[in-house]
Amino acid sequence: MQIRDYLIRRLMVLPILLIGVSIIVFALTRVGGSPIGIYMSHEMTPEEVEELEDRYGLNDPLPVQYFAWAGGVLRGDLGWSGVAVAPVTQVFRGKLAATMELATAAGLVAVTLGITLGTFAGSRRDRLPDHLTRVFSVSGSSMPDFWFAIVLLIVFWVYLGWFPVGRSDPAIWASIAHPTGLYTIDSLMAGSWQAFRDAIWHLVLPAITLGLATTAIITRMMRSSLVEELNEDYVDAARAKGLPERLVLKRHARRNALIPTMTVIGLSFGFLLQGTVVVEIIYQWPGLGRWLADAVLRGDQATIMAYVLFTSVLFLTVNLAVDIIYAYLDRRVVLGS
Amino acid sequence: MADIVQPRPVLPPASGALTVRLRRLGEVTVQTLRNPVTVIGLVIIVLMFAMALLAPALTTPNEPNPYQMPRDWTALNEPPGTPGHPLGTTAHGGDVLYGVIWGSRTSLWLSIIVVAATVTIGTIVGSLAGFIGGKIDEILMRVVDVFLAIPELIFALAIAAVLGPSFSNIILALAIVYWVKYARIIRGQIIHVKQNEYVDSARVIGDTKFRIYLKDVLPNSITPVMVQATMDMGAIVLVGATLSFIGLSEAGLAEWGVLVSEGQVGISTGRWWASTFPGLMIFLWALAFNLVGDGLRDVLDPRTESR
Repeated sequence: MQIRDYLIRRLMVLPILLIGVSIIVFALTRVGGSPIGIYMSHEMTPEEVEELEDRYGLNDPLPVQYFAWAGGVLRGDLGWSGVAVAPVTQVFRGKLAATMELATAAGLVAVTLGITLGTFAGSRRDRLPDHLTRVFSVSGSSMPDFWFAIVLLIVFWVYLGWFPVGRSDPAIWASIAHPTGLYTIDSLMAGSWQAFRDAIWHLVLPAITLGLATTAIITRMMRSSLVEELNEDYVDAARAKGLPERLVLKRHARRNALIPTMTVIGLSFGFLLQGTVVVEIIYQWPGLGRWLADAVLRGDQATIMAYVLFTSVLFLTVNLAVDIIYAYLDRRVVLGS
Repeated sequence: MADIVQPRPVLPPASGALTVRLRRLGEVTVQTLRNPVTVIGLVIIVLMFAMALLAPALTTPNEPNPYQMPRDWTALNEPPGTPGHPLGTTAHGGDVLYGVIWGSRTSLWLSIIVVAATVTIGTIVGSLAGFIGGKIDEILMRVVDVFLAIPELIFALAIAAVLGPSFSNIILALAIVYWVKYARIIRGQIIHVKQNEYVDSARVIGDTKFRIYLKDVLPNSITPVMVQATMDMGAIVLVGATLSFIGLSEAGLAEWGVLVSEGQVGISTGRWWASTFPGLMIFLWALAFNLVGDGLRDVLDPRTESR
């Protein structure tokens, strides 16, 4: 199969998946009974409730209701958030910036550390560094992130007092403009060293917590694909022509080992995103995750469903992008299927 | 005397196959136990299971519901080492040790129910798709793709939120989310196994489709499911505890995630124990199953041994 055909096929499946996800989300809003509860008050008579249900089309057949809802979503109407006391779309953007900043920082930690550790272990197969790295990666993926966050807080916030909680020092936050909503970028744009330091300071613990599990996954993948590449004939050939081991590793084996690792990095994006929920609760980070947790506890359906839709669309898009890049980098995938 | 020689009864092939399978199981066990890391994981699992089973003997069960934390209002926030409370107490006077022990029972229930349910559903759906193929395969796999499009934790969180906060709803939510993985694995295996010659020969001697599936295809497709199920025994507890931590269980439940959440409020004033011990248990539980799952995979799937 040609890459172009593969691409077209993947792109054609995407709308089907999106419709599927939207049906699941819609079904979820109806499982918990009629959503009229949000608009009801105790003083209403049954007739008034009936009238309200009519106004919002809740007595229509379910498919009609689905299309009304989906049409609203497509026009950017995601409903009213009871927790934020505002339309969902209006609140979304500000919180999204906070979450994206955290997820990106965690992603950077995970990618840098994961590739370094994986290379380190893979090139020293079955020796002590390899075993230690294995212990690290298995522990990392068994770690409950909410507990890890609390342990870090106990040590670095309560006892040592090295790092703060929250996203910023309110006074410093207020001292600069926020055109992008990303604190680190905004502080650089404002040229404020103090604000930049404040941003990084607040990012350290949440980013490490959120990045841990992903670091473990990337490390593991990098190690195993490097081990695999080092067994290939071209590596022997490179060695035979007298290339120093360092260059064999850097120029040949590692480059190829990075291809499968790339996919894992891409897929871990969804993982990072869902991890923000607990990390934001514990570090009091004012992002989407914490909003979602509040919404879950207070039955704010519009917010929950908007979040599910958003993460799924993002997740699907990123996965698609990763698959396409992978198909270009490694032609065997396409030809093989 | 009528000399009728009875033909020796031919052993039904099933018992022969059974012997082979039992022998193979023995080999796998021996090989798995050769890896010291796997043994460490296994020991932790045995200890956890023992703790869960012996919970009523190790503690005085709370009346009327032992899964609810007992409250000792005369001993709030006691540090570890207090007489009667070796691991300290919570801000509500709950004995941390009681929570740790009964939490293992809660986790055992959670993981066994969810894994059993998801493996069953996944096997049925995956078998239908892989063995029958065609349109059914196409439709079922699109459904699986849709389920996989929503990040697991977020999906489970949304379902549990809609159903309302309770531990049994967490179990239900996890079962709804996690079966897809098994459906995918089983389908892939079956499509692969179906092409084997012994399946063709079974067809030639006239076995029914269902018999071929049951005797030849399914048993040879199930191995990767075992590895995944072992890993999930740990992962399910991790995710379940996360949902509990967020607040989707009943308050006061003897569950590790709930305890970590309750203990969280005290950490700023130096009361580290109420969160630390239950959290450590979640970690050890997940770690143990990951170690054993890893070991099993190395033995059952030698291709990935180097990994």
